[in-house]
Amino acid sequence: MIKERKTWGARVLIGVVMIYMGILIIAPLVGLVTGVFERGLQPVFLTLTLPLLHQSLSLSLQIALVVVVVQTIFGTLIAWVLVRQDFRFKTVLNGFIDIPFAISGVVVGYMLLLLFGRQGLLFPLVDWLNFRVAFAVPGMFLATLFVCLPFMVREMIPVFENLDRQQEKAAATLGANTWLRFWRVIFPQMKTALIYGITLTFARAMGEFGSVLVIGGGIRGRTETATVFIFRSLDERRFVDAYVAALILGFLSVLIVLVADGIKKAREKKES
Amino acid sequence: MKQIKIFTLFFISVAMALAGCTGGGAEGGSGTDRIVLAAYTTPREAYGQLIPLFQSQWLAETGRRVVFEESYLGSGAQSRAVVEGFEADIVALSLAADVNRIKQAGLITHDWQQNDHNGFVTTSVVAFAVRKGNPLQIQDWSDLRRPGIEILTPNPKMSGGAMWNILGAYGAALRGNIDGIPGEDPEAAMMLLKDILRNVSVMDQSARDSIVNYEMGIGDLAITYENEVLVGRNSGQDYELILPASTILIENPIAIVDVNVDKHGSREVTEAFLDFLLTPEAQAIFAQHGLRVVNPEAAAASAEFYPEIDDLFTVDFFVGWDQVMIEIFGDGGLYDQVLLQVHRR
Repeated sequence: MIKERKTWGARVLIGVVMIYMGILIIAPLVGLVTGVFERGLQPVFLTLTLPLLHQSLSLSLQIALVVVVVQTIFGTLIAWVLVRQDFRFKTVLNGFIDIPFAISGVVVGYMLLLLFGRQGLLFPLVDWLNFRVAFAVPGMFLATLFVCLPFMVREMIPVFENLDRQQEKAAATLGANTWLRFWRVIFPQMKTALIYGITLTFARAMGEFGSVLVIGGGIRGRTETATVFIFRSLDERRFVDAYVAALILGFLSVLIVLVADGIKKAREKKES
Repeated sequence: MKQIKIFTLFFISVAMALAGCTGGGAEGGSGTDRIVLAAYTTPREAYGQLIPLFQSQWLAETGRRVVFEESYLGSGAQSRAVVEGFEADIVALSLAADVNRIKQAGLITHDWQQNDHNGFVTTSVVAFAVRKGNPLQIQDWSDLRRPGIEILTPNPKMSGGAMWNILGAYGAALRGNIDGIPGEDPEAAMMLLKDILRNVSVMDQSARDSIVNYEMGIGDLAITYENEVLVGRNSGQDYELILPASTILIENPIAIVDVNVDKHGSREVTEAFLDFLLTPEAQAIFAQHGLRVVNPEAAAASAEFYPEIDDLFTVDFFVGWDQVMIEIFGDGGLYDQVLLQVHRR
């Protein structure tokens, strides 16, 4: 790399970006951390031993994990079909994928209530099966699945679009079967996007609030996720509880993002 | 390939480690009863104290453990959730109309107002929270119409508390107990509401959200329950309580949801819990948390903290909730009309 002398214009630009990021991201984080330790360590330890905190974090993680697994499989599948297959309604389907970006979580929760609530369209079916969707974890899982739909798909589509068909054909000529072609030719090119898709999906799932509150009902210890726990703690003026939970959530997300970034860098280094 | 393995491994291990620490939960076998409580937001600190007390009493009396599942949302939201299928055994809500909605859905099959306290467990009054020292010298409803005063009150479409607030102002005006407003003049009473609503800067979804936002420094005054102010002051807030000369008595209902208790087989324990909440002992705990109580013994014991109001009226002044829900809070009702006039300007 050639070291360039920075011009004034460049310095100003860098300065603007730093200040903007500082105000937007760093300042609230600093506020959060000072909030946690405002009254010393004692209340923080007390919070960390709260069973309700463990239960809510655990529920968030369980939902997020299952959502990540399902979205990884179906998101990739959707992207593949959209890129490789031609069929009627393809454009419509493509447009539908972004709907979760546009709809607020509260509305998502309410739509599910209209489906699975006691007066809902599908209620007779789930009731007959003696299964609970509304005000239970399955409903919250569905809501989170809904809001997380676009991430994996949008990560994978460009990858599949840019795949070099020549390589696939060459592999086929050399006698590789479909599975082998996928595993040896296509999959290696998906890796970076896959990691990003998982990271984004996970972070979004952990952070989901409105829809899981509406469909879950915020029942302590049963349908209370980490974000709902934070909301309730603020309402109860248990500020340290709220800050600590928020910090843990933030820490998890940052950790995942950093690991994903690190892996991406390592891969780039290897390739260059 | 190696990196992705590391990533996957890392991801799963972190998640598993955290997901693993679920900590028991509220699972129970035989010898355990379960009560699902759906409540509005204000009395939750009281229930935080009452539930452990009932649990130990129930254990002593029957030898059985009772676990609680609690949910606290705005009264209207909670009522709709139960109608939509949240299987609460008992509902403790802000106003009778929200219980009636559940009754109309066919989930409550008995006459829940058929007891010594007409189905109510606590009461309170609509009051104001003002900043320390009352810098704006707010004493009564008429002060709320002064231009430039920033008011917080929750949204009546979502919060029971907000309905009480509107009824408090409107009723006091109709009764002619506000300076400068002739009694029995719906026109003048609507003008008052309009002036007050014009000063409202934030409309939160529940009474608690509203007062917590007030604590964050928003607004000059919050219209709220007396008990919200008392609970806030107990937790170290320095705002002050102002009781208007004429205001409405808030009556908070509690009712067993027949369909759900029969489905869960929890009628016996839930009825015991309801009886417990009406004992002088439990009512005294409500009184500690800022609520006026329905048990005469407990009410007398806590009377010094709850001054009498000159002109206290109930929802019956407006004939009743059925009437109020249509004429005042129904679509195109009085509230909608006033709000329309506020936004038009």
